[in-house]
Amino acid sequence: MTSSPSETEQVAHPLQAFADEVAAAVGGEAEITFDTVKVSVPPDKWVSAHETARDQLDLVFFSWLSAVDWSTEVAVGDPLGEEVEERIEMLTTVGDLTEGKRVTFTTDLPTKNPSISTLVDVYAGANWHEREAMEMFGIEFVGHPYPVTLYLPDGFEGHPLRKSYPLLSREVKPWPGTVDVEAMPEGPSTENPEA
Amino acid sequence: MTIDQDTLRHLSEASVSIELETQDMTLNIGPQHPSTHGVLRLVARVDGERVHDVQPVIGYMHRGYEKLSEVRTYPQITALINRIDWVSGYANEIPFIVAAEKLMELEVPERAQYIRLILTEMARISSHLVFMASYPLELGAATPLFFALRERELVLDLLESVTGGRFHPNFNRVGGVKPAYGSGSSTRKLIQDLPAGFLDSTRTAVIRVREAVDQIEDLVAGNEIILARTKGIGVLPPEVAAAYGVSGPNLRASGVRFDLRKVEHYLPYDRFDFEVPVGANGDCWDRWWVRLTEIRQSVRIIEQAIDSIPSGPIQAKVPKVIKIPKGETYVRAENPKGEMGYYVVSDGGSVPYRLKIRSASFSNISILPWILEGVLIPDIIAIMGSLDFVLGDVDR
Repeated sequence: MTSSPSETEQVAHPLQAFADEVAAAVGGEAEITFDTVKVSVPPDKWVSAHETARDQLDLVFFSWLSAVDWSTEVAVGDPLGEEVEERIEMLTTVGDLTEGKRVTFTTDLPTKNPSISTLVDVYAGANWHEREAMEMFGIEFVGHPYPVTLYLPDGFEGHPLRKSYPLLSREVKPWPGTVDVEAMPEGPSTENPEA
Repeated sequence: MTIDQDTLRHLSEASVSIELETQDMTLNIGPQHPSTHGVLRLVARVDGERVHDVQPVIGYMHRGYEKLSEVRTYPQITALINRIDWVSGYANEIPFIVAAEKLMELEVPERAQYIRLILTEMARISSHLVFMASYPLELGAATPLFFALRERELVLDLLESVTGGRFHPNFNRVGGVKPAYGSGSSTRKLIQDLPAGFLDSTRTAVIRVREAVDQIEDLVAGNEIILARTKGIGVLPPEVAAAYGVSGPNLRASGVRFDLRKVEHYLPYDRFDFEVPVGANGDCWDRWWVRLTEIRQSVRIIEQAIDSIPSGPIQAKVPKVIKIPKGETYVRAENPKGEMGYYVVSDGGSVPYRLKIRSASFSNISILPWILEGVLIPDIIAIMGSLDFVLGDVDR
């Protein structure tokens, strides 16, 4: 046997083959994070990646679209434990309707004036999700057929899901931050006592 | 004087070819309308009884759960998310708590998983029974409501006996389920298990549910008015449903045999024998029929789970303060309304850095502009009711 012990211990994740297939088809990079296949693509391949997923990979079901505001400066809640590159991370999840395969696509946009092409022509269901992401994160969706606010009233200022946006209830009563309680006497353990 | 046939035809054609100057009327339906299950406003452009297009206006119930979750610990969030789809509050908790456990790589005791499964199916029965009650009511038939709500009360009583809540159980803990209070004793001491007699009462209750479903079917399926108002109305083709993200019974009514209980492994559904009913035409009638049949399947699952529930602990050993290791994952589950999922981004702290809530009703009613185009005004009510949405689940 030529393989070293470290190689034999490395058991491929059952989703690895599927993740590689998707990444190769759309021209992105695959990562498996806790049983979720995440494929990152550059912003200019955003629409074409979804077209490929729908037409070639049979991922016809549009599950959701949203974003994450990665920022070290937070107005409310706990700050990130480590320094991150400030960016808006776009996320979508699409799936098939036979075996339960699903892929989460991701791309990075700048925090300031993020803009990306709309997916409405690929998945009609992206319409409302993009309107929500537009008002909540201030992302511009180029080519969106009806770019008006979805939840928020007319004239609402700011983008509530940005980390820089304060939460009114926490202005009145401040967030105490992470409150650390001492661990259990025998130390934290995730073992089942009777297993 | 005689007019020849050609002139006559010419004259009659001339008279009908005169176009009257007409204007479409904009009709506001809601936000306070009994058929909207909450506060949903539809701005419809109508020509007489015919609807040209519809623009739904939502957000009247937007409570900002995604932002609120960024300043709440994981155990606190389960109390919030009960209120997303309040008709099946218990089922909302499952994908979230499973996501937290997945990030912690926690093994949940078998008995806790079975309890979760039984309660989820009870939540599904109670949600579908509300649909069985409200949908005929919207079409003008009041009687099924009494049959459906009577049996739903049985199910809610049982849910309450275990969790303490009829609508908002807040019963799941990371690593298991909440210890219950012993029933029937004056001391009400905390017990680390289900209340005494719960499984037997559940077995009796689901038999009554099955009988009620038969009664409802007799009552509704033979009603010519309901058939006329639902058959062939609001047809949703499967490829349109998929592109809009319509899931759950609405998708299956369009003939897609896809149920997350069969493909995702968030609860041990693979150990039970049950079928996934699908509709043939994707119309309002099929959406009603699929839900009716799903109640019967849920009863089957519960009966099998009661027969095979293992004994043992109901809670894994977890630290006093739940801190979720750094990572992100998406966990989705088959809720009564469709695909409910949570994308959890944790930075290693006790609150999530970001929580994306994917709720079923949001995508299910995003189909409204497509499906209501060109229908008659009374059909708006029939179609909207058949989609079975809850505004709390739309607006989050």
